[in-house]
Amino acid sequence: MSAPTSPLAGPVTREVTPRLARLLVAGLALVWAVPFWWMLVAAFRPAGSGADASLLPSLAPSLANFAEAWASADFPLYFVNSLVICAGILAVQLVTASLAGYVFARLEFPGRGFLFGLFLVQLMLVPVVLLVPNLKTIAALGLYDTLPGVMAPYCATAFGTFLMRQSFREVPRELEDAALIDGAGWWARIRLIYLPLTKPALVAFSIVSVTSHWNEFLWPLMVINSPDRRPLTLGLASFTLSAEGMQAWGLIAAGTFLVSLPLLAAFLIFQRRFVNSFLASGIK
Amino acid sequence: MISWWKGAALALAAVAGLAAPPASATDIELFFPVPVDGALARNMAGLIKEFNDSHPDIKTTPVFTGSYDDTLLKTRAAIKAGKPPAAVIMSANFLTDLAIEREITPMDDLIAKEGKSQDAFMGRFFPALLPNAVIDRKVYGVPFHNSTPLLYINADHFKEAGLDPDKPPRSWAELHDAARKLTRREGDRTTRWGLMMPSNYDYGGWILEALTMSNGGRYYNEEYGGEVYYDTPTMLGALTFWSDLVHKAKVHPAGEQKGPAVTGAFLAGQASMMIISTGSLTFIRDTAKFPFRVAFVPMNVRQAVPIGGASLVQPAGLSEEKRAAGWTLIQWLTSPETSGWWSRATGYFAPNKAAYDLPEMKAFLEKNPDAKIAVDQLANAKPWFATYRTVPVRKAIEDELQAVLAGKRQPKEALAAAQKAADALMRPYVEDTALRLPGAE
Amino acid sequence: MTHALPTTQAALAAEPPAAQVRRRPGARLLLPLALLCPSLVFLALFTYWPVVEVLWDATHQVTRRGTRFVGLDNFASLFADPTFRRALLNNALYAIGTVGPSLVLALAFALALNGAGRVRALLRAVFFLPVMIPLVAAAALFLFLFLPGIGLIDHHLARLGLSGANWLGDPDLALAAITVLTVWKNAGYYMLFILAGLQAIPDEAREAALLDGAGPWQRLRYVTLPALRPTFAFVGVIALLNAVTQVDHVFVLTKGGPSDATKLLLFYIYEQAAERYDAGRAAAATVVTLGLLAALTALSLGRSQGPEAAR
Repeated sequence: MSAPTSPLAGPVTREVTPRLARLLVAGLALVWAVPFWWMLVAAFRPAGSGADASLLPSLAPSLANFAEAWASADFPLYFVNSLVICAGILAVQLVTASLAGYVFARLEFPGRGFLFGLFLVQLMLVPVVLLVPNLKTIAALGLYDTLPGVMAPYCATAFGTFLMRQSFREVPRELEDAALIDGAGWWARIRLIYLPLTKPALVAFSIVSVTSHWNEFLWPLMVINSPDRRPLTLGLASFTLSAEGMQAWGLIAAGTFLVSLPLLAAFLIFQRRFVNSFLASGIK
Repeated sequence: MISWWKGAALALAAVAGLAAPPASATDIELFFPVPVDGALARNMAGLIKEFNDSHPDIKTTPVFTGSYDDTLLKTRAAIKAGKPPAAVIMSANFLTDLAIEREITPMDDLIAKEGKSQDAFMGRFFPALLPNAVIDRKVYGVPFHNSTPLLYINADHFKEAGLDPDKPPRSWAELHDAARKLTRREGDRTTRWGLMMPSNYDYGGWILEALTMSNGGRYYNEEYGGEVYYDTPTMLGALTFWSDLVHKAKVHPAGEQKGPAVTGAFLAGQASMMIISTGSLTFIRDTAKFPFRVAFVPMNVRQAVPIGGASLVQPAGLSEEKRAAGWTLIQWLTSPETSGWWSRATGYFAPNKAAYDLPEMKAFLEKNPDAKIAVDQLANAKPWFATYRTVPVRKAIEDELQAVLAGKRQPKEALAAAQKAADALMRPYVEDTALRLPGAE
Repeated sequence: MTHALPTTQAALAAEPPAAQVRRRPGARLLLPLALLCPSLVFLALFTYWPVVEVLWDATHQVTRRGTRFVGLDNFASLFADPTFRRALLNNALYAIGTVGPSLVLALAFALALNGAGRVRALLRAVFFLPVMIPLVAAAALFLFLFLPGIGLIDHHLARLGLSGANWLGDPDLALAAITVLTVWKNAGYYMLFILAGLQAIPDEAREAALLDGAGPWQRLRYVTLPALRPTFAFVGVIALLNAVTQVDHVFVLTKGGPSDATKLLLFYIYEQAAERYDAGRAAAATVVTLGLLAALTALSLGRSQGPEAAR
């Protein structure tokens, strides 16, 4: 998160307004943290203590809510499903995007501009808006209620193609020419020259892709019917619904914590990489 | 760089593996909703385990499918995708719609195979349940767990307010009066509501139906799926009563109240009375830290409430093998023993009358007289609102109900709008049935 | 969450001649098409075909007696449906309510937290954390926050002697409540881009302003904001797109109620298709939504050079 500092970034003058503004923002940060703080406090509070709305941590923290959440919903299975969905989407995307990115970056052929425009259409026709017809297609392909059915609409990625094309174009052409002289085929050239040199772009794309599909809800909701194929988001929604009836808010907090933990942890560990990836997703 | 290609290949292989369902004897699925409070999902898992253990040739997977409305959506999606579950615990008032759309199959042939007549088979259940299960003289569902709305009161609050908790309100006038006495205010702020009733989707329509029926109303045409009676005096009285509790007497909070929020407020002592399902009875009994009582829904014109709850249905498009396995499951789930156990675990009453002849049930009712009141109210029970496109038709009145409770609409105009919306929704069916006349084409 | 809005100006502009892969002429088209094939198959299945299907569905009506071409009837009945008009209005209000405050807050956060220091890094992380949790998870937390009477907000208001409200149950408040959740969830994401934009402002500009004796407001008004304009254009479009495509929290919190108060376009489409079986109207609503998205995207292409500031 910490961006490189310019020499002037620190306050040069002692002006009142910016200080007040900073105080205000610090106050807002407290407000921002409240839902998370409540989640932690409620999740670790002994079950049935009745003090659901208190923001004071319990003096005797308990894992009872977690044990209950763990027993009520198959979070490990949901976790694996989410993992498979994200990994599957990413794996295919990396292939399709690097191939297409290479084509648009380095090959010259008639109709290239048109095809590229055709790709970019996907940026506008967000798959989630097309969920009704896409669901029909998925059912016709026999992929209804399967994990590949969740992945399929995301396998081609205009954004990934665009990102890879931009990165590939920054690779010095001479390297490829040298490889050509050595008789390397297109596959060898992509694999041995382009991909190793565009690792940062690949990482950025991977982080953005995994984050967005990990958090996705509506499309899997449409495709998945069987509980053993639910990703975490669906599992949490259904878990929340049944726990809400029980007035078990600590349980909901614990479930939410369990579901949010993997990405939150990854973010806290690899903060800078995440931030740079998100930035890269928006630029170029 | 090779590594991620390998990873991709591995992931794909894993996906392919997961996509293929495991094969075995007769695998069937049971879709079940969790409509009300309590740890129903866990109870259901235990129940199905017991069934699987005693029926080695069938392997049932219980599938929690959310609310009643969500269960309908999930079932329809599964039917469309050609993967219908062998049995579904379906909200009893969706059967008409499902039968009209031919999405569920009649069970008469299965009943005949047992060597039973339809009357003998369905005669085992409380009569109030039949109109929602037998459509066009065909059996489309077997009642699984049923409910009626019930008045719950906080006995401590009653004593505090000088009311007798053993004489809960019986009429709307008494309910209104009690709610007034029970409401507590600090300045402008209400710290305790006299009465709360849920008004979220699904629950709101049911409670409004209870009030309408208590007001002498019919709510809908029990014989024909294309008519609802929203814009009627009985319904106007019911909606105005509810609206006045909110806006005039100010003893009921404004705006939409979700079921869990109502239960939560009651349990937290922030509401002294509530009208919710008998299906929450066990949860309230286990959770309430104060003495409470239950009573019939207070009446204005007559004592009448709609039934609620769910029946077991079988979707169309099942293989013979799965249909038979599902039928075995259905019969087991609706046997007196299972029915009685489920009733005690949840608070729903057991639709199978024989359940109440079992010794464990008699002992239970002895110990929990409140559960008996829920059963006794069945004498006043009427069928539950069911039409073509039940859910949107019901939401048409619920959206207006929520607007009235929020003070955005007057009851009279709300009912006219709801009637108009409902008629528009049912028009395709009406044009295809009641208005399809000879010589018109 | 993540949207790519590349600077299409650059993308669509004529490109320098690419490396001529020295091959036989026949192979010139073969190789590119072969490499594009995997993408094109998926795009055809899940981007182009559904558009065709939606257009077909939108102009046909499936009744109990069969399917027939109805021209624009579905659109007429769509716009005659008060619920749809409400959904359009709701979505517009929701877009304004989320985009405006999110951007202002994101700017405030970025201005206050730009620079080094542990506290700043910590606060930036605090604002960014909501971005990393699923929208349904955020909704699960806010379910209790907004619970009337006994929920987090009402409980603490009551302790201050204030009346709470039925946040999700009052048609006047429900959309605002949903909006608050979205602002909480997304402001940190937009802050990121503005931070990057701030980094790109040349120091000289600020120094010059300081030397001229410009106060903090003047510096903001005349130096910082103009420099951030491309960033704002870009982030604004992302935020607008999010307002149309992100409705997960509506499923968990309100299901579009009470009285349609939180019915957003995508939820309306879902409801028409899944609950009412009205494929024609769902398709017509999809076409309208796609039209809006197209207009938004065109707007972004026309307006922004892309946030080169974010580089």
